Amino acid sequence: MRVFFRWASKWWPGLLPLALLWCLAAWNGTVPLENDLAARATASLKEAVLAQTQLTVAGRDVTLAADAFSEDGRKDALARVAGVAGVRLVNDETRLVPEAKPFVWTAERDVAHVVLGGNAPLPADKARLLEAARAVVAGVEVVDQMGLARGAPAKFDAVALLLVNQIPRLKDGKIVLTDTAVKLTGMARELGGREAIAAALKDVPEGFAVDNAIKAPPYIFQANKDPVAVTVTFTGYVPDSAVHTALVAAATRKFFDEKVVDQLKASVGAPAGFAGAATVAIGALSRLSTGSLVIADREVKLSGDALYTVAADQIRASLSGDLPQGWKAVADISVRPAATPVDASVCQQLFAGLFTQGKIRFDTASATIDRDSLGLLDRLVETASRCPSTAIEIAGHTDATGDDGANQALSEKRAQAVVDYLIRAGLPAERLTAVGYGSSHPVASNDNEDGRAQNRRIEFVVKE
Amino acid sequence: MAYLAAFHWGWLAGGLLLGLGMGWISVVHRGRPLSPKMLGAVAAVVAIAVAVAAARLLPGRFGYWCDLGLALFAAYLIGCTVGTVLRQWVVARHAAARSPAR
Repeated sequence: MRVFFRWASKWWPGLLPLALLWCLAAWNGTVPLENDLAARATASLKEAVLAQTQLTVAGRDVTLAADAFSEDGRKDALARVAGVAGVRLVNDETRLVPEAKPFVWTAERDVAHVVLGGNAPLPADKARLLEAARAVVAGVEVVDQMGLARGAPAKFDAVALLLVNQIPRLKDGKIVLTDTAVKLTGMARELGGREAIAAALKDVPEGFAVDNAIKAPPYIFQANKDPVAVTVTFTGYVPDSAVHTALVAAATRKFFDEKVVDQLKASVGAPAGFAGAATVAIGALSRLSTGSLVIADREVKLSGDALYTVAADQIRASLSGDLPQGWKAVADISVRPAATPVDASVCQQLFAGLFTQGKIRFDTASATIDRDSLGLLDRLVETASRCPSTAIEIAGHTDATGDDGANQALSEKRAQAVVDYLIRAGLPAERLTAVGYGSSHPVASNDNEDGRAQNRRIEFVVKE
Repeated sequence: MAYLAAFHWGWLAGGLLLGLGMGWISVVHRGRPLSPKMLGAVAAVVAIAVAVAAARLLPGRFGYWCDLGLALFAAYLIGCTVGTVLRQWVVARHAAARSPAR
């Protein structure tokens, strides 16, 4: 040792260049060393679950500032950095993210946006939910307002993902997950959407409670009568194919000269009494010269022009009186201006024209006018009003089936029923004569059903 | 330390060579040696520096520079020792070769 110290006493002159070497090494090596450590420390944290990670390196000391999601995760991250070769000290500036109580996650949808809010337990969950939302509502902007917090219920992932998958079924609304309680409010996008959401939410894991307050969109049924195109167009929903067929058949009978355009679709969710209400409303529409009908849930809106004042009153009364209980009618009915008068021969031609398109129907073996014929009768009333100076014979005919006397009586009664209708409509009684011809004036053979149907008829004969 | 050696091997090699040269020269150099008192002071300073580095008392870059300085100093000391031993051995062999000739 003494020898060593004797030698060492002569080594001091080299200390000066050594100091210079030290300065040069520090000058050149510090920043590259720090960069190298920062890169390797960052790489070591790749699999650590952290948020807002910030690494700063001074010399060989690393300062780690980050939000961790559990105590174990925090310790693990620190150990990973400390384990990087060359790191001398790790300054711990990590903190646990706050615990949310209650833990709330939300998804809100309006026309143009989907906003995800509340808290997610981990950044990976947040990213997954965001990605899932973007996938299910392609084309709609997804806004991320989610924070991160501890305290999520078990199986948060699965439930939130299930809820995200319901977003496309919503037109607008909000989904709120509060701890283990799921609450959905708003309006379904389509009829049946509410039921589809309810069915999907049966799969929520055990322990979660679902309160589904999603409303179904209004059940819409529309009809539009276009006098120019001579069509009546039906759009919207009907409950099933039986009601569909029945409504189209009723429309075909009631709209005797219009083409029925059927664009109806079957869907669940019809309000109770829909078929009855729709039949009444279609009947009312058939009496208008032009008009539109909208049935939304239990509200019937009818607007358009009636052919004469009494018809307008009758239509309003029918709408408010004949609808099933609980239904509401809104009638906005005006009266079409009277058509220009015509002379007797034109009047006769107009009557003949109407009777080639439709015929007045009665209940079987009765003089009660079928309500399907009210549209035609209104047109007959309107036509009769155009030739006010003429007298009109209303002639009833039957087929040859059954007793002649009974047929005669029935034809007279039916003719009289029509006359009564015309008088109630405001035509002067003195212009109208009811005549029954029984089966004495057939226009076709009584040997087949088609011919007999043609023979059962009412005719209007204009008398000068 | 292994990391420092790997990262700064060039500078440490420089320190080693410097020491080797200094050790080589010091055997025949007639310069004034450091007094035992000064030598003790230097040893004390180095011991304190080693203690500070081991306890990691200096923060950040100062801590790193302290480690680097000690590493260079250690390389220098090793170089000096090896240089001195080598030169001693060469001188001794030279002297032995000359004395039988007399």
